[in-house]
Amino acid sequence: MKISVDHPRCEGHGLCADQAPDIFSLDDDAELTYHFEGAEVPDEHQLAARAAVNACPVAALRVLS
Amino acid sequence: MTARRSVLIVGESLAGITAARHLRTLGHTGPLTIIGAEEHGAYSRPPLSKAVLKDPAADDTLGLALDGIDAEVVRSPAVTADTRRRTVTTADGRQTGYDALIVATGADARRLAAPRQRGELVLRTLDDARLLRARLANASSAIVIGAGFLGMEVASACAARGIPVTVVDADQPLERILGGCLADAITARAAAYGIRFVQATGFATLTGDPVGGVALPDGTELTADLVVTCAGELPCVSWLAGTGLADRLGVGIDHACATTAPGVFAAGDVTYLRGDGTRPDRRAPFWSNAVAQGRTAAASALGLPAPGPPNDDYFWTEIAGLAVKVVGPLPLIGEPTSVQGSVTDGRALLTWSHADGTSTVVAYGLRKPVAALRALAATSSPPSP
Repeated sequence: MKISVDHPRCEGHGLCADQAPDIFSLDDDAELTYHFEGAEVPDEHQLAARAAVNACPVAALRVLS
Repeated sequence: MTARRSVLIVGESLAGITAARHLRTLGHTGPLTIIGAEEHGAYSRPPLSKAVLKDPAADDTLGLALDGIDAEVVRSPAVTADTRRRTVTTADGRQTGYDALIVATGADARRLAAPRQRGELVLRTLDDARLLRARLANASSAIVIGAGFLGMEVASACAARGIPVTVVDADQPLERILGGCLADAITARAAAYGIRFVQATGFATLTGDPVGGVALPDGTELTADLVVTCAGELPCVSWLAGTGLADRLGVGIDHACATTAPGVFAAGDVTYLRGDGTRPDRRAPFWSNAVAQGRTAAASALGLPAPGPPNDDYFWTEIAGLAVKVVGPLPLIGEPTSVQGSVTDGRALLTWSHADGTSTVVAYGLRKPVAALRALAATSSPPSP
């Protein structure tokens, strides 16, 4: 499973990091870092990753199968 | 532990989908059914008043995927519920039983048109947004009724297209939510952006059939190509008639998202938090509350402890090109303390201290993550006496 991040669309709410702190983080200016950019999300993080995708209020995250 | 318990979620909403996902995350392996009324399935609503009004390409990016949840989905609206026999009946005549029920049917737009008066525009669903976008393409004037978050976002979309827009409300823009201090600044900013504000002294009524204007209590009538009602939402509870679960405010829940019926829980825009001796009943139909309540309702439906409070109290808007993010209780009364910047400059970090010891933090035109705002709200609260 991979996740795509639409960075221009991201408004830096940070609700993804609430759901999946191991794969998303934001700095104090609300710039998002996705820790598995271009890579597969490890199995143990997949449930949290899907919850994070759902929780994004601007639909900037998508699961790529 | 919960293997064969069957869980039924009514409402293919953010709260419903979050609950479904969290049930599986918590290890629920039993049957899970989701009843949804929307032909498009579940989707994200905040972009409807922003990205979708600008760009048709946004329409296809809003879906809330059910992948990995392993649920049976019934695409037919719920019409009745029997909480004693533990069944829900859908419009297709099907009856679904449950051991635990999660009510997540959300809310509909409040409408102001008289019976049989046609052509009222609202913004709640993807179809509403598509219709409004199509009408914006040909409009040369617009009226928005309601100066809350949604009304000001719609007015901003009109102004961004160069369409002269008038917003009508009994209170200043966002005054009921953000208080007079920020309402003054936002009203001035909106005016500079091309949004005219008319303060009405009472209820406005829609005129024309199809709707083409609004009559104000003082006898003035305004007309425009587009008239959009942004007057709040009504919880979708008609299917719960006779159960005693719902009243005018929606479905009352406690801190575990439990309702007054055994085995029935509720989450999201359909709910209100029941008051206690010190706090009144309170509706808080915001995105982050739907997420928090979806998780809490899932845990409660399995008999597990709640993962956290059922309200997150985070909301945001974008008005006249300015992002406003708020963490903490509302309304905001009196003057804030400025942590950084100034409202006049359009960039400020502000805090309000409330009598009960809690604080509210507002990022005004500043890009800040919710975690930083929550941390500031926690540290700026004075210690309990």
